[in-house]
Amino acid sequence: MADKLHLDQHISQKFNDELEDIRSRALQMGGMVEKQVSGGLQALLEGNSELGNKVAKLDHEVNSLEVEIDEACTQVLARRQPAASDLRLIVTVIKVITDLERIGDEAEKLGRFAVDLASSRELPAYRKELRHLGELVQTMLHDALDCFARMDYEAALKVAARDDDVNAEYETLSRLLITHVMEDPRQVKNVFNITWCARALERIGDHSVNICEYVVFLVKGKDIRHTNLVDINQSLKP
Amino acid sequence: MSDTTEIVKASLARRYRAERRFRFYGVLAITISLSFLAFLLISIVFRSIPAFTQSSIHLDVALDAETLGVSENPDYAELRTANYSGAIKKAMRERFPDVSKRKEKKNLYSLISSGAEFQLRDHVISDPTIIGGNTVIWLQADDELDALVAAVDDVTNIGDVKTRLNEQQRGWIAELQQAGEIKTRFNKTFFTNGDSREPELAGIKAALFGSAWTLLVTFLLSFPVAVCAAIYLEEFAPVNRWTDLIEVNINNLAAVPSIVFGLLGLAVFINFFALPRSAPLVGGIVLSLMTLPTIIISSRAALKAVPPSIREAAQGIGASQVQVVFHHVLPLAMPGILTGTIIGLAQALGETAPLLMIGMVAFIVDIPAGITDPATVLPVQVFLWADSPERAFVAKTSAAIVVLLLFLIVMNAVAVLLRKKFERRW
Amino acid sequence: MDEAQAVLDSIEGTVGEIAVDNPKMSMRDVDVFYAEKQAIFGVDLDVANNEVIAMIGPSGCGKSTFLRCLNRMNDTIPICRVSGSVMLDGDDIYAADQDPVLLRARVGMVFQKPNPFPKSIFDNVAYGARIHGLAANRAELDDIVVGSLKRAGLYEEVKSRLDAPGTSLSGGQQQRLCIARSIAVSPEVILMDEPCSALDPIATARIEELIDELRENYAIAIVTHSMQQAARVSQRTAYFHLGKLVEVGDTNEIFTNPQHELTENYITGRFG
Repeated sequence: MADKLHLDQHISQKFNDELEDIRSRALQMGGMVEKQVSGGLQALLEGNSELGNKVAKLDHEVNSLEVEIDEACTQVLARRQPAASDLRLIVTVIKVITDLERIGDEAEKLGRFAVDLASSRELPAYRKELRHLGELVQTMLHDALDCFARMDYEAALKVAARDDDVNAEYETLSRLLITHVMEDPRQVKNVFNITWCARALERIGDHSVNICEYVVFLVKGKDIRHTNLVDINQSLKP
Repeated sequence: MSDTTEIVKASLARRYRAERRFRFYGVLAITISLSFLAFLLISIVFRSIPAFTQSSIHLDVALDAETLGVSENPDYAELRTANYSGAIKKAMRERFPDVSKRKEKKNLYSLISSGAEFQLRDHVISDPTIIGGNTVIWLQADDELDALVAAVDDVTNIGDVKTRLNEQQRGWIAELQQAGEIKTRFNKTFFTNGDSREPELAGIKAALFGSAWTLLVTFLLSFPVAVCAAIYLEEFAPVNRWTDLIEVNINNLAAVPSIVFGLLGLAVFINFFALPRSAPLVGGIVLSLMTLPTIIISSRAALKAVPPSIREAAQGIGASQVQVVFHHVLPLAMPGILTGTIIGLAQALGETAPLLMIGMVAFIVDIPAGITDPATVLPVQVFLWADSPERAFVAKTSAAIVVLLLFLIVMNAVAVLLRKKFERRW
Repeated sequence: MDEAQAVLDSIEGTVGEIAVDNPKMSMRDVDVFYAEKQAIFGVDLDVANNEVIAMIGPSGCGKSTFLRCLNRMNDTIPICRVSGSVMLDGDDIYAADQDPVLLRARVGMVFQKPNPFPKSIFDNVAYGARIHGLAANRAELDDIVVGSLKRAGLYEEVKSRLDAPGTSLSGGQQQRLCIARSIAVSPEVILMDEPCSALDPIATARIEELIDELRENYAIAIVTHSMQQAARVSQRTAYFHLGKLVEVGDTNEIFTNPQHELTENYITGRFG
């Protein structure tokens, strides 16, 4: 689906290769982050401290990949002075990998909380409440990366709209956790940890929205950040 | 080592041999042409040397009024018609008192040029008070004597050098030489006299002036006309069938044999317009017809060579076409135009055929004072002298050719200098 | 040939906003023919005051030809024929009563190769003022020359040698001298035909800086081969292809998000 930007049609074959390399490495980084998030969530739900540690350590790889891609983008900017769709691709990748790195950080938090929770005397049953929110966020991230790979701006708009569901779920979860604290004040520490995890998942959803917005910019050349969806749909009508 | 290296190496020697062979042919060709040129130049210069020297004989002439056939206080008219030849003959008889036979006397007199009497006349007219006394004067020697003393050191033993002078005459010469009464000096008369039937009196001044007047007319007519034509054709004329036709015709005109222009001049300027025959005016008009295409073609080439960027620059700030041409294009093209003009004029200077047709082949003794006086030109003078029977004219012919060549060299040098001086980088 | 014809046929009209609010020059339906061959096909375009409009496109796309229509430099080519309307302040410059000499005093031109006259620096700049009679006396002429050299950013470098030949300057200085020469006649529009193509990057940067400063007083149209240069100096960009105006628009927009595929292919270096 990379055809949409005709990345393989430059007169300079090397430029084709460089852009393709950057794009595929960004997708590779997306894949790693996705794995990290699902791993973190799994570790949390199962109380698996080993998996939690593994997820936390994976963050180093994600970070170094971010640095590599950043470097490659800088070089293309310096040497090729890309314009139009090429420029938008580079700018998009630079932004996407920043968001991916942040998602990676959030996933690392999930992993560390999973280790924490696993070491506590009893696993609170209400940690299962995270499952629904986690699945929502996980699919959202997956779909956002999929839109980026396919450069499908219409799907991206739809994925971004799903953030409202995530926020609503986060609200519900918060209220539920407050109830737990009121019922059993000894649970404060665990409830706080769970709240942090919910918070991390909600942030991942926000970053996924960002990625979707970048996809729209990449394909349509329009910056849709900080505008509401009705206006966006209006302006993108052909 | 790759295959290419091997293959190239194998052919290298052959390729270099071919190059050396070609260089050799080139050098050979240049040597041959240079040696032809050198042969021509050296033979002409060598043969012209005698014409630039002139032997004189020292004589003590008694200027008594009786011999001269004038009164005691002669007026100018008397002085002009006086018998100087008698005085000279008398002086010669006194110098060689043994000579008595009529034939011998005649031989003796022939050692002195027939122009010597005019020399003496001018000398006397410049100071009539010397009449009655003796005067010592160097008088021009005959061309045979001139040639002989130039050719051999010892005139009594001449080997196989050919001369019309007999043994007795050579004896007198030897005697005069021993007494230091023959000397050879630079021949001024060659540059100050017009043509003459006597080689020792013949000069090229008339032909030089004729050439100068003719060239002046040629220049004044052809330069402005040709430059205007070139500018119009190059800068203003529309490109269509008519201008193409004109261009072709100008090129053809440059290739027309020059004698045709002479016939044209004869028919149109002399027969129809009744302009004076043999005059530099007609010669100049005919030669400018010949020079026009040369100057037009070279001027157009010079104008075309001015980079279009200069024209565009001037047009781009609103210069009109005339301003573009006269402020920018023409000054830049000027060196080329001048070079073309000078080459055209040099061609005209060397031209003979058309001038023969309009009568500039006449025997001209007087220096032409204007463009309507009868005149001849250098190449025609060369042609005339080459036709003359006297041996001394061989040297004169060569000398005239040398002068003509010098003129051409000077003109070409001027062309180069002008180019250097006005050439501007852009 | 057929392929080119197919591409040419596929270009229908111009993408983007042709007109501007305060047009200095306004071209409508301009066709240019060289003998039988058509070089420009129905181009509509406005050039605004205080704006640099860049014309880009592959070699032979007609951008220079179009630029030279704007001050009738094509008049000097006998086989060249222009139709359509080219308006300067609402007057058709190709009308019978319009004089090309006057027009070129109002619409100046700077060329690809720096082409100073083989005269002194002073005379180069003074030439236009002299032929048009813009200076009443020597003092006024001096003012015009110094003023123009200052505005072209060249005065400080040459003030001590105004009588040195213009050709003794470096390439970049020569080009600034040519710009000074055009602005000395106080034109209203300046046309630049690849003014930096013969210059090194530093000289280019100076000229670009100068173009930006000149924008305050003139309408400027520049043809350039360098897309980066178009991106740097212009406010609007017009993309020509095979003699047609494919797209025109805000420079920022053209270089980040061109609407036409041909524009996109050209500025990103794709074969289209």
